[in-house]
Amino acid sequence: MELPDDIKPVMQNEIPAILISCSGAGIPNTTIISQVYYVDREHVALSFQFFNKTVRNTRENPYVCVCLNDLENFTNWVLHIQYDHSESEGSIFDEMDMQIEAIASATGMSGIFKLKAADIYRVNSVEKVVYDPVTS
Amino acid sequence: MIPGKIMKFLEEDATVAAGGTRSKHLIPHIHRVSGWSVGPDRQTISCSIPEEFTHDLLSSLADNGQFALTVEQIGTHETYQFKGEYVGSRPPDEADLVVFERCRERFGKVVSSFYPYSEEQSRAYVMNPGIVISFKVREIFIQTPGPRAGHRLVPPEEE
Repeated sequence: MELPDDIKPVMQNEIPAILISCSGAGIPNTTIISQVYYVDREHVALSFQFFNKTVRNTRENPYVCVCLNDLENFTNWVLHIQYDHSESEGSIFDEMDMQIEAIASATGMSGIFKLKAADIYRVNSVEKVVYDPVTS
Repeated sequence: MIPGKIMKFLEEDATVAAGGTRSKHLIPHIHRVSGWSVGPDRQTISCSIPEEFTHDLLSSLADNGQFALTVEQIGTHETYQFKGEYVGSRPPDEADLVVFERCRERFGKVVSSFYPYSEEQSRAYVMNPGIVISFKVREIFIQTPGPRAGHRLVPPEEE
């Protein structure tokens, strides 16, 4: 499955995304993440900053669901992705490290986030959810 | 039972929430949450879920009953995750719509103060409820970003 071009600006809009993972024992885990990184048409990267439940889950069960928020166009992008491998050096890692520091600084959380690795995921499906804004 | 401090957070401070389920094949699914409230037993949380995010919801809950709700206050980043077992579902009623409007109001105010969107546009981003699902909370975790994220508060984790 390939990522469409119009998803790229949403990945860079600095609005947090939602991530759902699931343990090998079948317990889902819902978390809010600062960013999903575009790697290429078939891959995205997520930051591995702490050895948290998401990281543990993806080593037990590689399937993850991510929801990106586009407030400007009243759209969500739902991605089903699959953990592939981790990179702790190289261009993807360096770029993510810089972006994380920029987001941390902008949200008053500088020094809290430290990138351990860039976790690379293969994209299995992409769904664009467009809806009418609720007005009242 | 949900502690008083977290009850107050849910009822007065939290601005955004999302739910997660998993299929019988362990594939996770996201469900946006438009409103949330705690029942009188202080253990059951009801979540309003928009129609557009009900894909695989009821089939997953019928299969295994597992639901994970994360609720955050935008700005302070204070976040908690509630995990538990599915109790039931129903169409939204008047009380759910009041809760939805209250949550939407808070979301609009807070998001417009942090992002370049008007309050009206931010409010309009919260989708109408399509179904209400309830689950009984088994565990509560702190998820505020930082080294303690993931620490279980209820039942207390041994240090």
